[in-house]
Amino acid sequence: MNTPFASLHPFVLLVFFLFAAGFSMFLMHPVFLVISFICAFGYSVYLKGKKAFKTLGMSLLLVIFAAVINAAFNHEGFTILLYVNDNPITLESLIYSLAAALMLLGVLMWFSCLNEVMTSDKLMCLFGKLSPSIALLFSMTLRFVPRFNRQLKKTVSAQKSIGRGLDEGGFFTKAGNGVKILSILITWALENAVETADSMKSRGWGLRGRTSFSGFRFDRRDGLSLAVLLLLIFIISAGIAVGAGDAKYYPAIVFPEFSFFGLTIYISYFLLMAFPLIFSLTEDFKWYRSKSKI
Amino acid sequence: MSRFEGKSLKSLLNKRTILSFLIILILVPAVIAFGIVFLDDRKYYLISLLIILLTMIPFFLSFESRRPSARELAVLAAMCTVGVAGRGAFFMVPQFKPMVSVVIITGICFGAESGFLTGAMTAFVSNFFFGQGPWTPWQMFCCGIIGFLAGLIFGRRPLTKREHPFVIIFGGVSTLIIYGGLMNLSTLLSSVMTINLQTVISVYASGLPFDLVHAAATVFFLIIALKPLTEKLYRIKIKYGLL
Repeated sequence: MNTPFASLHPFVLLVFFLFAAGFSMFLMHPVFLVISFICAFGYSVYLKGKKAFKTLGMSLLLVIFAAVINAAFNHEGFTILLYVNDNPITLESLIYSLAAALMLLGVLMWFSCLNEVMTSDKLMCLFGKLSPSIALLFSMTLRFVPRFNRQLKKTVSAQKSIGRGLDEGGFFTKAGNGVKILSILITWALENAVETADSMKSRGWGLRGRTSFSGFRFDRRDGLSLAVLLLLIFIISAGIAVGAGDAKYYPAIVFPEFSFFGLTIYISYFLLMAFPLIFSLTEDFKWYRSKSKI
Repeated sequence: MSRFEGKSLKSLLNKRTILSFLIILILVPAVIAFGIVFLDDRKYYLISLLIILLTMIPFFLSFESRRPSARELAVLAAMCTVGVAGRGAFFMVPQFKPMVSVVIITGICFGAESGFLTGAMTAFVSNFFFGQGPWTPWQMFCCGIIGFLAGLIFGRRPLTKREHPFVIIFGGVSTLIIYGGLMNLSTLLSSVMTINLQTVISVYASGLPFDLVHAAATVFFLIIALKPLTEKLYRIKIKYGLL
């Protein structure tokens, strides 16, 4: 499935995810945390539907574990709420662990979106020129995995036909047959790899003047999107440099005072984080409208 | 064969030493200083991720600058595939994975450099099937460095039968200490942001059962696969004159 935002040039996607995850990781101000989490989760729902809630549930497990440790073992802060075994639990550390949990959730959600959007062909396009050998290793590994699985099925049925199936005999016979199949498979994989390499070489791999396949074109739409993203990133970075993103949790909770400038930063942050969602929904709406006219 | 290998390893080490020095002595401290001065010294998450990415660069660069042959790349890709498929085959048993043992064997047979690359690539590609996350660079580094060390310690000459127990012990210990230790550190830095003795102990203690299972898996798979797999790899190496 290629959703509108995911159909942008890989470089634009890379810039977006680098900064979305990067900002989410280090802006601990609650407004930024909430914006980042909501946008990431919204986009995840757009991409994956119901499955997004499952991802959220799985992430919550990790986050709760971290939040409990954070709150239980951190005794900084002024406002003491209660004592557990003579150890103070403070309001500040409780709120800080909630903020940290939200930060972690946001980052995990962004990565779950990244999983859907940044497919391996896009990564190849990005890193193919930068590091051709490693990119080739990467793409060959990706290609070998399904090939390996197919050969596994073939080997299993071939072995079965000569009475060495995985469902024959006792436990040790079964295990022995399994090991045999694996051994055959690994030998095949290695020999096959060398054959592939020879075939590549005889077709001129690594010679000068050969270009690599890339199905992506950087067009006007990509340029425009990139410009918008960079502008927003610049505004937010400027805001951070001036201190709009500061948030102190210890010893007492201090947030920067509300200002018009701060509001601009919040709005820019929201626009950046919601960019995939806004972009996708606008495109979907355009498509929907043009469809109903016909 | 072994003479040739030793020579290439030496020149590689030289190149990498210079690069590593540059990165470890200049770039990494710069990132840490940036974290302390500009980010208030509380953003361990971002900084640790940056550092782990930076430390991997010299390995990748020196592999790239060596201009590996197509055969070498293909055989390494095949070993990565074995690792990825191994992780996939045991998906229902948490932590009981043969990945590290495959990486160790590759490191031993094809040298430290290839060991690192196989480890990093196996972790990276398998996460396409199991989910990428902030943990990906950490896993890549852990697997890679174990393969690298295996190659450095045991890869100088063909493995003798007498060395097998040492490889198996190395596998268990490195999985427990390097893989487990670093992955717990990543949990600590990424999710538990207050670092003191108690949080360190609680994170490492809660991770210990998983790390023990993982180490046991590595030992188990090394006991089974070390002899047959090294034989296969040496055979391929001799047959096609690789590396």
